[in-house]
Amino acid sequence: MKNRQNRQKKAQPLPILFICISVLPAVILTLMFTIWPTAQALYLSFTNATSLGLNNKFVALDNYIYMFHDKSFIQALINTAKLMAVVPVITIFCSLVLAFVLNQCKLKEMVLYRTLFYFPNIVSLTVVGIIWSFVFHPNVGIVNKILGAVGLESLQRSWLGDSKTALWCIAFTLLWQAAGYYMVMHIAAMDGISPEIYESATLDGASAWRKLISITMPLMKDIIGITFVLALSGTINLSFVLSQVMTGGGPNGASSVLLQYMYTQGFVNGNFGYAMAITVFTLAISVALSMLSRKLTDASEGGQ
Amino acid sequence: MTQNEKSKIRAKVIKWVTRLFLILVAIIMLYPLAWNVVSSFKTSTEFLTDPFAWPQGFAWDNYVRAYEKSNLAANIGNSIYVVLETLVIIVICVVPCSYCLVRYKFPGAKLILNIYMAAIFIQATYIMIPLFLQMNKLNLLNSLTALGVLYATMQFPFAIFLLTGFLRSIPRDYEEAAMIDGCGPFRILTSIIIPMCKPGIVTVCMISAMAAWNEYPVALVMVTDPTKATLPVGLANLYEIQRYATDWGALFAALVLALIPTVILFIVGQKQLVQGLSVGGVKG
Repeated sequence: MKNRQNRQKKAQPLPILFICISVLPAVILTLMFTIWPTAQALYLSFTNATSLGLNNKFVALDNYIYMFHDKSFIQALINTAKLMAVVPVITIFCSLVLAFVLNQCKLKEMVLYRTLFYFPNIVSLTVVGIIWSFVFHPNVGIVNKILGAVGLESLQRSWLGDSKTALWCIAFTLLWQAAGYYMVMHIAAMDGISPEIYESATLDGASAWRKLISITMPLMKDIIGITFVLALSGTINLSFVLSQVMTGGGPNGASSVLLQYMYTQGFVNGNFGYAMAITVFTLAISVALSMLSRKLTDASEGGQ
Repeated sequence: MTQNEKSKIRAKVIKWVTRLFLILVAIIMLYPLAWNVVSSFKTSTEFLTDPFAWPQGFAWDNYVRAYEKSNLAANIGNSIYVVLETLVIIVICVVPCSYCLVRYKFPGAKLILNIYMAAIFIQATYIMIPLFLQMNKLNLLNSLTALGVLYATMQFPFAIFLLTGFLRSIPRDYEEAAMIDGCGPFRILTSIIIPMCKPGIVTVCMISAMAAWNEYPVALVMVTDPTKATLPVGLANLYEIQRYATDWGALFAALVLALIPTVILFIVGQKQLVQGLSVGGVKG
């Protein structure tokens, strides 16, 4: 290809060979290990496939119908819904407050705090789960010791062994490890807000809280929409590892979540078809929720 | 004058209140980790009598037992191997691919980009079972190399998302100048795009390295041979064993050993990690 003194870039022929060599490896790997397995998951969800791999029969929607008669599934669904209703909202709110404080405080050691708050997020979730199991441990755990020290022995309990609290322990651990991550994202977005807006608000006598609610949050609507979607899908995914490590879904399924139940059905009971129906259902929820929140942020933008 | 002094005092008070608040949050964030490090130096009796007391001495044998009783050394080696492989595959596949997707309007480019955007949702955990069946069929279970390929592939959507965003922000002028000088696309890629994209590539590598280093569910399913387990799986296994053997000192020591490489990587690459979050977040 000799260089032609052509002003129009479009007239240049595409380097087909180069494009193929560049694009194909990634695309082939994605087809093999992402797209094809996903299609396979969808197909399996309509069969009664088991780990024995014999006589896969097409059962149409039976798996999906059975799902809603399965008490353990319903429980996992309710648990996941509880986590999704609580964890993303609190996480995003806490991370916004932290980001706002760090952004506005102008302390010398601001970078140090940012680093420290972000740190829990890079620790392996397995390690996080193990450490927090000890924090909630009935005999040696921090929580019970602190309650004992301030005279609230009546509240002491086996946090992860109590069906009332196990799920909320997982929720707290999720919050602890994710808050710093979203905080960093929010700080980056806040840096883009011009300080003059805050200054004029200060002159008008606005309190810090007021500034957060009336200036920062509306200006960062888009970013908050994105981080909220990330937090939603993060809750679905990460709750699996924590529930697996910290409680194994127990006691009696009180802290089981959708993906964890899918794992149990698939690899413990060997019901591949049924497990895949649960997966497809979960994936559908996560896609639907993110589309919904995208719509909502778009709509509120259009309304302005 | 007094008004001025008053507001000065007020500013100081606010400063210290925020500082106190931040320190409190820092304690909540770090205490569990610090407690873990301190506990790793205690003997089991010390830990059981008072989990909060400072250790009497350094019970280094916790670390010796953690090392001897587990496959920790092998686990760390396996994890390093998988992470390095993941990074190599990602750099080789994602950089040229993102470049072509952004700069050449070939038929299908748009479609491929859209598919990758949608695939961000498909977490590996969801497709664990079909992946397992497929790897079984290909005889690739218990293979660390195959695990690395899987990890790399899982990171493609996010890596391409991040890198295409980065590439779009680079002006075309340099490429056009090089093209006029008779540079082929391959030369442009290696001598213009890669050097200019370095921060983006480093960010992608940092995020992918963290993800691969910490990944648990897929490794749990794909690798059943304990000598080939990666670190998160090895630790979870150790936890299951030590929980009932109540050799907690060794367990805490193992957790600390697992934390050390993460901490090092974090200190080295903190800037890139934070940058990646801002790019990924803002461009979304």
